[in-house]
Order: sequence, then structure tokens, then C-alpha cells
Amino acid sequence: MVYLDYAATSPLLPEVIDAMREAEQRYFANASALHTPGHLSMNKIEEARELLAKLINADPGEIIFTSGASESNNTVIRTFEGHKICTSPLEHHSIIEAARVLGGDEKPALYSYMLANNEIGEFLPIADVVKKAHKEGGFVHSDLTQVLGKLPIDVKALDLDYATFSAHKIGGPIGVGALYVKNGVPFKPLIIGGNQEKKRRGTTYNTVGIIGFGAALKYLLDRKTWEIYDTKIRALRDKLAGRILEEIPGSSLNTDLKNSLPNILNASFEAAEGESIQLYLDAEGIIVSTGSACASGDIKPSHVLMAKTGDAEVAHSSIRFSFGLDNTEEDIDKVMAVLPGIIDRLQKISTIERKTK
Amino acid sequence: MNEGQDWIYSDTVKDHFMNPRNFLFGDESQFDFDAVGIVGNPICGDQMKMYIKVKDDKIEDVRWKTYGCASAIASTSALSELAKGKTLDEAVKISAKDIDDYLGNLPKHKFHCSVLGHQALADAVNKYRAQK
Repeated sequence: MVYLDYAATSPLLPEVIDAMREAEQRYFANASALHTPGHLSMNKIEEARELLAKLINADPGEIIFTSGASESNNTVIRTFEGHKICTSPLEHHSIIEAARVLGGDEKPALYSYMLANNEIGEFLPIADVVKKAHKEGGFVHSDLTQVLGKLPIDVKALDLDYATFSAHKIGGPIGVGALYVKNGVPFKPLIIGGNQEKKRRGTTYNTVGIIGFGAALKYLLDRKTWEIYDTKIRALRDKLAGRILEEIPGSSLNTDLKNSLPNILNASFEAAEGESIQLYLDAEGIIVSTGSACASGDIKPSHVLMAKTGDAEVAHSSIRFSFGLDNTEEDIDKVMAVLPGIIDRLQKISTIERKTK
Repeated sequence: MNEGQDWIYSDTVKDHFMNPRNFLFGDESQFDFDAVGIVGNPICGDQMKMYIKVKDDKIEDVRWKTYGCASAIASTSALSELAKGKTLDEAVKISAKDIDDYLGNLPKHKFHCSVLGHQALADAVNKYRAQK
């Protein structure tokens, strides 16, 4: 199998599996308990917190563990319930939908801008947003889910008030995430009714999950994965992009290679529909995702591709290839051995005539 | 859904998606047809065309083209099998449910957006009758 859907979720790192297996056996006790097993569990949670703090240049006390990026995002939006909430059109639904339901007119405003988008990988100019927001007394949140491990992160240098992270995009388990909350900024807990996380999030600590997240964070730190992404993975991504443009008539890129995360490539194939491309690739053992409506169970195609291209047909015909550290040159060859044929066949049975050569 | 299967669709759907029947490969001159019907819109993600060859008030042969997802391709392929040999009166009565029954278990959210081919077939029959 050639797995190119790392931006959706990544397989567990062997280091994570080992750490979680040990944790299942040794750190089962309730981490809030005062007895020795509880205390030992809490120590492991604090180790993970320190690793994330180190990785993003925060104080450990500024980090709250959550159930994932959607919860982290919802928590920040909920803190600004009734306030003006400005978001980019490329945000995740857990921002856009929450802002739609909870936003209002009160000041100060919250600005939520991701640093890099998950579907096309492109960077957003958040420095301008941060400057503008802080000048008017507002606050800034950034969803850094796709950025963790791919780029060095410094929340102080970025001057963020809140930032969202997820474990399962970096080889950690699904169901664990984190929220950076700068000391002194407004905060309302989403889950009320417990002293955990310094009363910022009720519910028993997910010790095993957090330990798994910690093992993935340690992997990033030890290997400085952002350097590997910037070199090896960027080269693979750019090579695939070049070959697609060269070898597949009617192809175009939705990702600006010079202004994007090094591991994400989004391309569209004229007159060929994304879900069909995805499933023909699946039948060949190549795993990708699509911004087509059909794949999402929605009737509309990806809001990100619509915002980026303004063209529903381009959005319906889009495929995202997202790379992880395990991908190789051979994977690119395997994709390009079948993709041109799949596109050609779909274009030939399509009702739409391909306009470009 | 499809318990025990490793694919999102049923085996019949997968078969019609992987090995579609009666499709028109390349441009329209490849098939000598009497009328063509169309339904859908690429903006919505699905569009089908049905090309029919009529003899003695029966659909002697049929070809199709589709821009759309796997179930759009599979359902148009299935329709082409259903339509062949039918009288024109029978052909216009083929429903989305008939196609779904033939394929077995299209996921519900797919049924509404991608099973449209019968409308293209009815459109083709109407055009054939209008031009006579």
C-alpha cells in the first residue's frame, strides 16, 4: 500500500505503540488521585506537557490536554461566545461552524486564522492578522494542527494567544489534542465539573492517550522532523507535482508549492471526478483524499477549494496527496504508474470535454 | 453498511464501477445513435448522457457518458444493462429505485445525488419521439 493521506491521520509510530502499551499496564491509575500509582501517572502526563511546551516555546502551565483539535478549537470559540469572531474562509468546520453558532458583536474580538491549511497546505498571512488584532485589543487563535512537526513553532514569536494541536497527525493516537492558552488571556472551560487541568477542563485524564501523544512529541523533538520535511519530503512532493503536470493532460495544482507546507499537494484533474479518482487509486493500493462533495457525504464540494479556486468543477475534481516521513521515491513511481491511466479513462467516459491539453 | 466488506460500496456496485458496461469511450462519433439525453451538472458533481439506438420502438443498443463519483458511474452502467432491449414505453418507466435494486444497497446519501441516469434516458426517448 502507498499511504498518502497523512494529513487526514497518520499511523501510530512504533515508539508510540510501545509507550502506550507500557502505559496501559503501568499508568492505569487515576492521575488526579493522591496515591502513588496516581502520582506516577500524573508525572507521565506532565512529561508530555513539558515536551509540547518545549516544542512550541510555551510554559507547561499554558498547555491543556484535550480530546483533539476540534475540542481545542471549540473551546476557544466558546470562550468568545457573543463576541465578534473573525475567521479565514479556509478554517476547519470546528472553527467555522462554532463561530457561526456562537459569534456576536461584543468586543474584544477573536481572530482565528490557521497558519497552514489542511487541504491545500497553503500558508495564511497570520502575522498581519496578529498585528491588526492586537492593535485593536483583540485576541488571536491559530489552528496549528497541520503545522506541528512540519515546521518549527514558536508561539511567542508568532505572538499567539491560543493555538490548537492534535496527536494523530504526528503519529500519536486519535482522541488526544492540546490547546495553548497564553497566561492571562480570557478562558472558559468547555467541560465544567472537575479540577483537572487546573479547572480548565473537567473529566478524568486520558493518561494512556496523553502518554502516546508525548511519545510522538519526543519523536519530533529528537529527530527535528521539520528538517526532514523541509528536505526529503519537500523533494518528493515537488517531484510528484512536476510529474503530474508533465504527464497528465488537464491537470493543475491547487497548492502553491512555494508557499505551503512541504508535505501537502492538492491537484485537480479536468473532466475527472475526485471520488472516482480516489476509489480507482484505492483499488490500486494508493490511498489519497478528495475535496469532491461525494466523498464527504455533503452536497457541496470542499469549502477550502471553493474559497481558493472559486470553481466547483475544480473542487469536485481535486485530489490531496499528503506525505509522511515513511514515503519514498518508489511511492511516487507507483502513483505515476497508474494515475495517468485512471485520469485518461475517466476523461474519456466523461460528459465534459477536456479543454486544456 | 456492507458488513464484512472492505469497500464502501457493495460488490455489484464495485463491479460496475471497476468494469463499467456499454460506456462511450472517447468522442460521440464512436457510436451511431438516434438520440441523446442529458441530466445533471458538473457544478453539482454529477452529469450523465445516455445515447440510444432505436429499432422497432425498442432500445436496440445504448451507450453512456458520466462525469461523477463511483456510484454515478456504477448506476449509469447498471441502467445501460437495464435499458437494453426494452420498449421505449418500458424504458421511460425505469426508476431510480429499479437501478438501486439492480445494484443493491447504494448508500442513502449517494442515492439522491448520483442515481440520475434514468432521467437522461427518459430525456433521450422524449427527444427521439420529438424528432420523429
